[in-house]
Amino acid sequence: NEKFAPELLESKPEIIECVVEQLDHMEANLKRAKKGDLKVSVHHMEIERIRYVLSSYLRCRLVKIEKFFPHVLEKEKSRAEGEPSILSPEEFAFAKEYMANTETYLKNAALKHMPPNLQKVSLLKSVPKPNLDSFVFLRVLERQENILVEPETDEQREYTIDLEEGSQHLIRYKTIAPLVASGAVQLI
Amino acid sequence: MEPAEAEFLAEKELVTIVPNFSLDRIHLIGGDLGPFNPGLPVEVPVWLAINLKQRQKCRLIPPEWMDVAKLEEIRDQERKEDTFTPMPSPYYMELTKLLLNYASDNIPKADEIRTLVKDTWDTRIAKLRLSADSFVKQQEAHAKLDNLTLMEINTIGTFLTQALDHMYKLRSNLQPSESARSQDF
Repeated sequence: NEKFAPELLESKPEIIECVVEQLDHMEANLKRAKKGDLKVSVHHMEIERIRYVLSSYLRCRLVKIEKFFPHVLEKEKSRAEGEPSILSPEEFAFAKEYMANTETYLKNAALKHMPPNLQKVSLLKSVPKPNLDSFVFLRVLERQENILVEPETDEQREYTIDLEEGSQHLIRYKTIAPLVASGAVQLI
Repeated sequence: MEPAEAEFLAEKELVTIVPNFSLDRIHLIGGDLGPFNPGLPVEVPVWLAINLKQRQKCRLIPPEWMDVAKLEEIRDQERKEDTFTPMPSPYYMELTKLLLNYASDNIPKADEIRTLVKDTWDTRIAKLRLSADSFVKQQEAHAKLDNLTLMEINTIGTFLTQALDHMYKLRSNLQPSESARSQDF
């Protein structure tokens, strides 16, 4: 889901913590029990596979944070009390540092030398926003009814479709964004 | 998504092997793998099966759909229908490549199977190209694509989504609106 969604999705610290814990546990076991070459290598292979998926997920999130950093921080600042966070504490610290670094760099490289009334730049306006209208492929996990499909051209009219379980579709991200967040569909 | 990543996901599928060693039950993070006894078939994920085969510790048994008659039937069915027919496995392409590369000695008539799967793949990709073409021409907003496997979607996916995004940007720039973004400094 993270790979194909145009915006940064909710952070899932519980899942990540659980996976990291399992990996550490398994590695500790392997270090202790040095017998039985085959068992050890099978466990080791599985650890490598899981580690690959985990790091690819985290890398994907970091790429998106770097790409959209002012909007991500803005969203985090303005989110309501009960809503889930889209950044983990480490990611939040990273994003803030990245923003501070970029601002300092721009100031030192260019803005310092410009006339005083032009020395501010709004990063929120200059960095492009995530494109929520991009098309994505999805697979339906839970049946949904009456999803509105907006028209592309002026001649078309909007219509509704039902999403059957197990079917696959190609549609704009904006319409199905809440379904991704709730886990009713999976991006492929 | 890279083809290598689609292959990574395909490696999670289960396949039957006949080990030539014995090992009792192992408890992996993802689940348990049954006791291994020489000569008795057992199901394991493909990544493990390939590894064991390379170490000459087992013999692979091809999945039941990987058989000349069955594949011929599937290929003919695909050619007859206009829409996509269900494939025997959502990862048929990756599994064929992996199994035929590493275990072709365990699979009878490997070359014929390769040709049949390639024919089916070509037919499906041609259908996909046609339908993507008409999607873009008629500027549809939504498409239903059941029975398409991940590999096929990946082959055309990145190009299609980027092309559609570009077209959307061009179209929305034709109509000046108050939300048109322009940089003011």
